[in-house]
Amino acid sequence: MKNKLFCNREIRKQIIRPAILLFAAFAAIAFPCQVTAFADDVPHWMRTLIDSQLPSQSEKTAAVLLYSEENLMVDSAAKTHTMVRRAYKILRSSGRDYGMVVVHLNSFRKLNSLRGWSIPAQGKPYHVKEKDSLETYIPEVQDSELINDTKQRVLRIPASDPGNVIGYEYEVEEQSLASQDQWMFQTEVPARESQYSIQLPEGWEYRATWLNHREVEPVQLGNSRWQWTLNDVKEIPQEPDMPPIEAVAGRMIVSFFPKAETQKFSKWQQVGDWFLSLAQGRNDSSPEIRSQVNTLVTASHQRLGKMQALAQFIQHDMRYVAIELGLGGFQPHSARETFSHRYGDCKDLATLFQVMLREIGVESFYVLINTQRGVITPETPPNLWFNHVVLAIRLPEDFADPFLVATMHHSRLGRLLFFDPTDYLTPLGQIRGDLQANYGLLVIPDGENLTLLPQQATELNGVRRTGRLKIDLSGNLQGEVEELRLGDHATSQRSILRTVNTYAGRTKTIEQTLSSAFANFRITNAAIMNLETTDQPLGFKYSFESANYAKRAGNLVLLRPRVLGSEARTLLETKEARRYAIEFSGPRLDTDTFDIGLPPGLQVEELPPATLIDYDFASYSSSTELHGEMIRYTRRFELKELSVPANRADELKKFYRVIAADERNTVVLRPTN
Amino acid sequence: MFSRLSAMLFLFCLPSPAFEIGFQPVQPDELAMRFELKAPGAPAIILYRQVSQDNAGAQGYEDNYFRIKIFTEEGRRYADTIIPFVKSLQTVEYLKARTIKPDGSVVSFNGEAFEKEIVKSRRETVLAKVFTFPDVQVGSILEYSFTYKFKRGYATAPQWIVSQDLFTKIARFTLMPGRLDRSIGLRWVYHNLPALSGQPQQTADGRLAMVVFDVPALRTEDDMPPRNEVEARVDFIYSDGTVDTNPERFWKTVAKKRTAELEKFIDKQRAMQSALLQIGVAGASPADKLRRIYATIQQMKNTSYEVRRTEKEQKREQDKIASNAEQVWQRARGSGSELTWLFLGLARAAGFDASGVLVADRSDSFFDSTLLDDSGLSNSVVLVRIGGQEIYCDPGAAFTPFGLLPWPETGVPGLVLDGEGPTWVKTPLPRSADSRIERNGKFKLADNGDLEGKLTLTFTGLESVQWKIDLRDEDDAKRRESLEKEVKNYVPAAVEVDLLSRPDWTSATDSLVAELSLRIPGWVARAGRHALLPIGLFSAPEKGLFGSGERLYPVYMRFPYEVVDDFLIELPDGWEVSNLTKERNEDVHSVAYAIQVARENRNLHVVRKLKVDFLMLKTEYYQALRGFFQMVRTRDEEQIVLQPGNTEANN
Repeated sequence: MKNKLFCNREIRKQIIRPAILLFAAFAAIAFPCQVTAFADDVPHWMRTLIDSQLPSQSEKTAAVLLYSEENLMVDSAAKTHTMVRRAYKILRSSGRDYGMVVVHLNSFRKLNSLRGWSIPAQGKPYHVKEKDSLETYIPEVQDSELINDTKQRVLRIPASDPGNVIGYEYEVEEQSLASQDQWMFQTEVPARESQYSIQLPEGWEYRATWLNHREVEPVQLGNSRWQWTLNDVKEIPQEPDMPPIEAVAGRMIVSFFPKAETQKFSKWQQVGDWFLSLAQGRNDSSPEIRSQVNTLVTASHQRLGKMQALAQFIQHDMRYVAIELGLGGFQPHSARETFSHRYGDCKDLATLFQVMLREIGVESFYVLINTQRGVITPETPPNLWFNHVVLAIRLPEDFADPFLVATMHHSRLGRLLFFDPTDYLTPLGQIRGDLQANYGLLVIPDGENLTLLPQQATELNGVRRTGRLKIDLSGNLQGEVEELRLGDHATSQRSILRTVNTYAGRTKTIEQTLSSAFANFRITNAAIMNLETTDQPLGFKYSFESANYAKRAGNLVLLRPRVLGSEARTLLETKEARRYAIEFSGPRLDTDTFDIGLPPGLQVEELPPATLIDYDFASYSSSTELHGEMIRYTRRFELKELSVPANRADELKKFYRVIAADERNTVVLRPTN
Repeated sequence: MFSRLSAMLFLFCLPSPAFEIGFQPVQPDELAMRFELKAPGAPAIILYRQVSQDNAGAQGYEDNYFRIKIFTEEGRRYADTIIPFVKSLQTVEYLKARTIKPDGSVVSFNGEAFEKEIVKSRRETVLAKVFTFPDVQVGSILEYSFTYKFKRGYATAPQWIVSQDLFTKIARFTLMPGRLDRSIGLRWVYHNLPALSGQPQQTADGRLAMVVFDVPALRTEDDMPPRNEVEARVDFIYSDGTVDTNPERFWKTVAKKRTAELEKFIDKQRAMQSALLQIGVAGASPADKLRRIYATIQQMKNTSYEVRRTEKEQKREQDKIASNAEQVWQRARGSGSELTWLFLGLARAAGFDASGVLVADRSDSFFDSTLLDDSGLSNSVVLVRIGGQEIYCDPGAAFTPFGLLPWPETGVPGLVLDGEGPTWVKTPLPRSADSRIERNGKFKLADNGDLEGKLTLTFTGLESVQWKIDLRDEDDAKRRESLEKEVKNYVPAAVEVDLLSRPDWTSATDSLVAELSLRIPGWVARAGRHALLPIGLFSAPEKGLFGSGERLYPVYMRFPYEVVDDFLIELPDGWEVSNLTKERNEDVHSVAYAIQVARENRNLHVVRKLKVDFLMLKTEYYQALRGFFQMVRTRDEEQIVLQPGNTEANN
């Protein structure tokens, strides 16, 4: 399931996503730039880089950042100017993307100037200007924002080819909401030299925090200007299932403020207070909301039942639509407006739900969170990098219900239940994987409230299969399988199944599962259980036949007892040693039990050995046993931790190889006569 | 349900196209609808759509009207509406929208329609009006209308895209041509219109009108024909001057005109003779001569395959655009078609009976000569008649070996530029054996079940061409990564792969050959006293192929091909073969599969062949094709039973 965005511009302006680059590339092709100036315009700072020695690199390095310079000039608490210079040497054809300059803009961030150059290894240099660039809308996540004001200015630099040096320079003017800036000096390519400077008004000071890098002292260049320089910064290679780049990249966060005042966001509490000030007056109820709440809760006398009725309404009768212009990227619409339109974004829906809960006497609090686990941690200085809003619902201490598992005990507020009103498929009581064990900012009037959300038990997420099957003397397999999906596994399947309403369409989902397991098959019957009842496991029950499943080999018959499903993964089957941790979306427990009846005339000659491998982060076990005329295959796969550190990647690799070997195991049968 | 009769009555009641289409009365049967039998499972359908363009006045406009019925929660996403427009050419006006709730009550859209900038450059700005409907529930009807107003004096070429992402119950299209449309010759062609629908008809007042019923929603399937070939639409074509509607005369005129242009381009006899001297064809056999010319051309710089350049880069290159074959030769560079026509000039100068041929490109759509549209003949090839044989050559197609054409130019119609005619030809479709993936290997099985050895991977014909084109701009590291990844995708298990050789990526030889080392940990599994060796070592690509039980569109292949595996597996000392798998041979003409395992001393010799020898397979044969690949997978899953020696094996 996709994330719903809170529209965090602070992050968007820094991170260039490949998808955005692709879009930019398309746009630039559609409107190729025209150049109006000539070679002799190449600035001195770039000319001096032509013969620079390159930093160390791998054979896959697309480009190297020869030089980067960011100069932040603070005019006032709210207004800054930033001048950026960068020059790359393109090493491989995939490095051509670096010739596509993308500057992110929004209501608070304007472009003052933009220029680019290339110095080809052969031939005359090129120079392009802002008028040669395009302004494009940032493509939305499907079904996400309807409208927002984030844009990008794209300049395509000619001759961005391997062997050539390209560079650009731009200046942006920004209204800084957090009085904060960040220097992301570590990226996907190695950097030869990176500089950052800050120029403050007289009587101001700054505070710098370093993440994923040792602290470096600046050089003071005058009364109120400081400069930091780093050389030979290592690249961050892309690895599957690695933590988000924001969680591993070296960067420096600088907050600036007048000496007489305190830092705007020196504590998380101040971020919370700021958000509360934006939400003020927007979480008032209305007669219409009150009437709707009364209608919804009349059927239930229990408080939990009432809460569930309201959650059902917010998850199913409201639509996710984001209209985020200006401060609207941070500020919720009024509950009244959201209710009237029957749509809103995450903060709108959270606000309305908060109001509806209040109508039944239940208190709740906003929780600001970044759905990429690891971006915000206790080490991160207070900032606005959140991209989602959920709620923490205050529960009475004696409010015991086994359904309510996404809970924690707060020292002042007591028991809190986390709930995401935007997530229309995860029932009240649980939260999906990317919110679990993730830090969120609990917005309450006072107190330091960066809070670790609970990690749910493995039993609440996964797939449970049981099959009653039989083979005949020709090796044909037939029988029935019941499959229960819980947690995020249920959510993702429900999300797919909701797009199809027909028997044939839904059977296709089962077909996909079976086609990866069987060379041939025919589904004879299929049913789906609890598709709409999201507080129950999603169930599939299907009967099928697969011809020649067990195969003759001379006088033997070979049968794979692991009938369905695969837990083995090949993500660590790479030549390069793993650099970063392997991240999982959530804890999980999968179990399979397949009973395979044997026909008279076949007997077991060999059974595969049992498998057991157990680590603190995951475990796997399987066994194949003979029970009379029936073979029983059972297995259990448990993912206990959400992250495996890189120095344990070999253990995880071995874990998956053991599983792969077990999945290929075969029972050898022999005709009795 | 919404019956055909009520639909007709509804249509009868519709106002004739007006400057602004108003909301239609709410029909009780529409409110009561829960599903549409002809679109089972649809989250929503278009009940009615109208597109009315009028170019008759000083300022042209197009009225659009949609009425959408929501059936499911998922279908509510169709409430988010985007209307794109190009700022310099048109505006979007008179936007009106309303939600009709299932109980018949109406919620008007009073909110703001935002203007979203899609792309803005110095030359052009593409915007979109975006809005969302209020209070949308399952069962709601969404109704909206708007008008595109065109800039004065500007006529847009209409296109009626009939197929939508949603099933359309009824759609009405009209076009009132303007004076300009008539003077520059407006014609139309239609594709894939539903069987019971009308076709564009000209009314007494000169208006074109069409009503269509029950248009299926567009779907995406693997290996389907190009979207243009499955989409229902009407294309309008503007032609320069009066179009001769007699096909014979039309194409004769085209052939004559294009022949004259081509002859002018290649008419450089002396320069061509001089070039032949440089190539060194003297004394060679005719076939060899032709091959040498072909090879020389292919070594020239082909600008059609360069990375797309910025305008500035193109501008710098402009003075290098050749106006005739002599210039192409002198510069040793040119676009694909310039190089192909240079080849024609040289072939003629060398005494060959050769003609230029304009051919269609079937990658995006299929050419139809009855449409009288020569823009469909977008590619150039040369037809050489030698020793009673006809050979088609396109040296302007990079990496394409002599005697082959790139796949979009195979099996397509071509117009011979002989100044007469029109003479139509059809380019040959290569045999499956011409484009192969060959995997030859020698592997050794270890006592612990690991399989290790060397693999020679060979791509021939169009398979080779495709690899070379796809990776032409990449460096060795990327090419290595791509080949290793390809081999990993062949093996249905975790595998360690290393490229050992340096394949020739740049020449137009018939093949691309790579040597790789391969190690598959635990390929052979132990089962008590037995060890089991799967024979489908490279069978992963066929897993899941045509797995779906349903098919809407025909199966379309780019070109016929074969996959041939031939490898030896050396058994560990002391291991014996208990049982070999049986030889299998299934040939159903358009597809064939064979597998054979033999014992050769200490080796097992496995030979597997898969042939796919068709271009388009009708939907009604899909189940047979699916059954064939199920059989392939079943055979590939078979295992050889081995008897290990005394050594203890790991599992």
